[in-house]
Amino acid sequence: MKQVGPFRLDTGEPSGAWTLVVSAAAILAAFVAAGGIFWAYGLNPIHAYAVIVHDTLLAPGAFPEIFRPTIPLLLAGVGLVLAFRAQFYNIGAEGQLLAGTVAATGVALFTPIRGPATLPAMFAAGFVAGALWGLLPSVLKLRLNVNEVITTLMMNYIALYFVSWLVTGPWKGPSVRGFAYTDQFPASAWLPLIPGTRIHWPTLVLGVVLAAAFAVLLARTRLGFAIRVQGENPEAARYVGIDALRTTLLVMLLSGGAAGLAGVGEVAGVHHKLLDPNQVSLGYGYTAIIVAWLARGKPLATLITATLFGLIYSSGDVMQVSLQMPFRVTSVFNGLILFFLIGSERLLAYRIRWAPAGAPASAPASAVAPSPPSGEDP
Amino acid sequence: MRWKVSRWLTAVVVIAVVLAFIPTGNAQQKLKVGFIYVGPIGDYGWTNAHDVARRMVEQQLPVETLYVESVPEGKVEPFIDRLVGQGAKVIFTTSFGFMDGTVAAAQRYPNVVFAHASGFKRARNLATYMADFYQVYYLNGLMAGALTKTNKVGYVGAFPIPEVKRHLDAYALGVRYVNPQATINVRWLQDWFSPPKAKEATQALIADGVDVFAFTEDSPTVIQESAKKNLLSFAHYSPMYKFAPKQVVSGELVHWETIYLDFLRKVLAGKYTADNLQDVDYWWLLAEKAVEVGAEPGMMINPLFVSRLKSTTVKTVEFGTLSVYDLVQRRIAQMSKNPVVFDPFAGPIQDRKGVVRVPAGHTMTVGELTSMEWAAPGVTGPWPGEP
Repeated sequence: MKQVGPFRLDTGEPSGAWTLVVSAAAILAAFVAAGGIFWAYGLNPIHAYAVIVHDTLLAPGAFPEIFRPTIPLLLAGVGLVLAFRAQFYNIGAEGQLLAGTVAATGVALFTPIRGPATLPAMFAAGFVAGALWGLLPSVLKLRLNVNEVITTLMMNYIALYFVSWLVTGPWKGPSVRGFAYTDQFPASAWLPLIPGTRIHWPTLVLGVVLAAAFAVLLARTRLGFAIRVQGENPEAARYVGIDALRTTLLVMLLSGGAAGLAGVGEVAGVHHKLLDPNQVSLGYGYTAIIVAWLARGKPLATLITATLFGLIYSSGDVMQVSLQMPFRVTSVFNGLILFFLIGSERLLAYRIRWAPAGAPASAPASAVAPSPPSGEDP
Repeated sequence: MRWKVSRWLTAVVVIAVVLAFIPTGNAQQKLKVGFIYVGPIGDYGWTNAHDVARRMVEQQLPVETLYVESVPEGKVEPFIDRLVGQGAKVIFTTSFGFMDGTVAAAQRYPNVVFAHASGFKRARNLATYMADFYQVYYLNGLMAGALTKTNKVGYVGAFPIPEVKRHLDAYALGVRYVNPQATINVRWLQDWFSPPKAKEATQALIADGVDVFAFTEDSPTVIQESAKKNLLSFAHYSPMYKFAPKQVVSGELVHWETIYLDFLRKVLAGKYTADNLQDVDYWWLLAEKAVEVGAEPGMMINPLFVSRLKSTTVKTVEFGTLSVYDLVQRRIAQMSKNPVVFDPFAGPIQDRKGVVRVPAGHTMTVGELTSMEWAAPGVTGPWPGEP
């Protein structure tokens, strides 16, 4: 607690409203800073923002485009929220996503499963592949105490080169004239789109369902309780008899599996083939880390944060086309928004109260354990 | 109550100001042309060359251009949507990976003219175009064969795909025509733009004894790295003479503007419409001046190497014994005619396994060139997908 002039700073759990206020202020500050860049680039910032708002939200066909990157970010992000709640720092969503693309491609091109069973089989295979890809680092951590940040990250590169090897080697399609692609998936392996848009809705529905399911899992189930206790205090978890091995393995199966589903959506809903790993995913597995971080441990909040990123990506595209700005400037714009958003995390730990000297002090905020992952304890 | 009213007023004024800036119907009558690039315009290779051409087009024709750079393959369709939304009536997509997306967009926008570089799928409103280097690589090969002292020339290749294999084979045929003992040592990067990988590959080839370099990668890395050991090289795609004026012998230069200008003039004249492009395929070479032999524009051969090329002689059936310098000039003249008098891929040609790939009396067709997979004699190293 600290007195600054007539204000008192309390620490403690931020309220939902305070989180929104601080985040909105951060985004606004980012817009002001980015306005400086627009101005330096020779554009009127107000004009630039008007164009961005119009062409991102209002132009025909523009609005649905926000949700295309949202889908993989939502699936991978919601899985990461679960892992982070258990204090398992899964940096490997990218690799788990790519594992999902490989499994889905395998089912679509190299199994006899055809017809209405194809897509469910692809999703199932993608989930299993993502889960297994996440399993190895968790076993290493639990059995040998190997730092999972390193192993999950390194597994990304293995997945990346594995996909690269597949498309330049054994899975290279006979119909692609030597280029590094597989053949196109048969029609039964294409995800249906919402008419008039490019949103592969089954994956979006999966993402929303998963976000809700994980919220229920965390709040209402025995496993959820175990995850929360283990995440907030592993010693206490051990003391009350929570099986760390079982909890972590289940968490990573779900987390990796969710990222695997995101991968299935990308190949079955966007590309309809497997291709260069950097073209398949556009770094969704890494961006999902920020999506999960900003969701502050709440699976349902990923619905908002993933959409926010969809909006950021989409406005970057608009800047390139409508304002004819270079690709790099749009990256700077996106980076500024993130910089301010993540920078504002620290402010969330404080509550500002109007407390002029002499006024009766409110009850001191009781020591609340910070809910991971807050900005306190990386 | 009062302050609330004033707040509403402020909000209304702000919104009005914002709306005033929103671009409404465009008054300009110029034809809008969109370009979709796979890389950054500053890549010093493929995308840069297209962008240089775009700016020339904008200067020379009454058109307005728009571009988008670094477009991932999965996003070509949404970007086409946005360009059409901006009023683009002609759209060029400049990477093989954009093919299926462009085909789909061409169906969705039947009144927009599309052209796709390096692909093979066309439609009534979708043409294809390519400025190809195989003749130029052959000419570079003639020079490399004459200049190597170790009888090992190197090639740093991007991807083992037909386009790069065609260029490499043409280069190898040129090298071996002048120097039948030479080998062409190959390294693959699996990347179009990767200075670190190109550096590594160059060092490995230097360790193999290679003393002349050619490459397919969108940076001057191979030139810079080999120049450190004073080894010779051929520029690729952009004028790279300035990166090593004492080592760059010649190279491959592209002039995409020849194609863009020709295509857009025909669109402006009403000759090309969104209805008659089914058979429009630009496959433009030396004769159309879409490509050029040179270390930089106007410098066909670095003057430092002219005397060595003039003093090295080669026996030919057509011209008797002549210097490599003269041979290069003759071949350029032959390939600058339309139709050409000489083609590097005229039979008989065997591959490096001894299989006849081009029978005597046959010259490879465009279809055969764009799908070729075999390796020419003298090529040493891995060759994924070798038949």
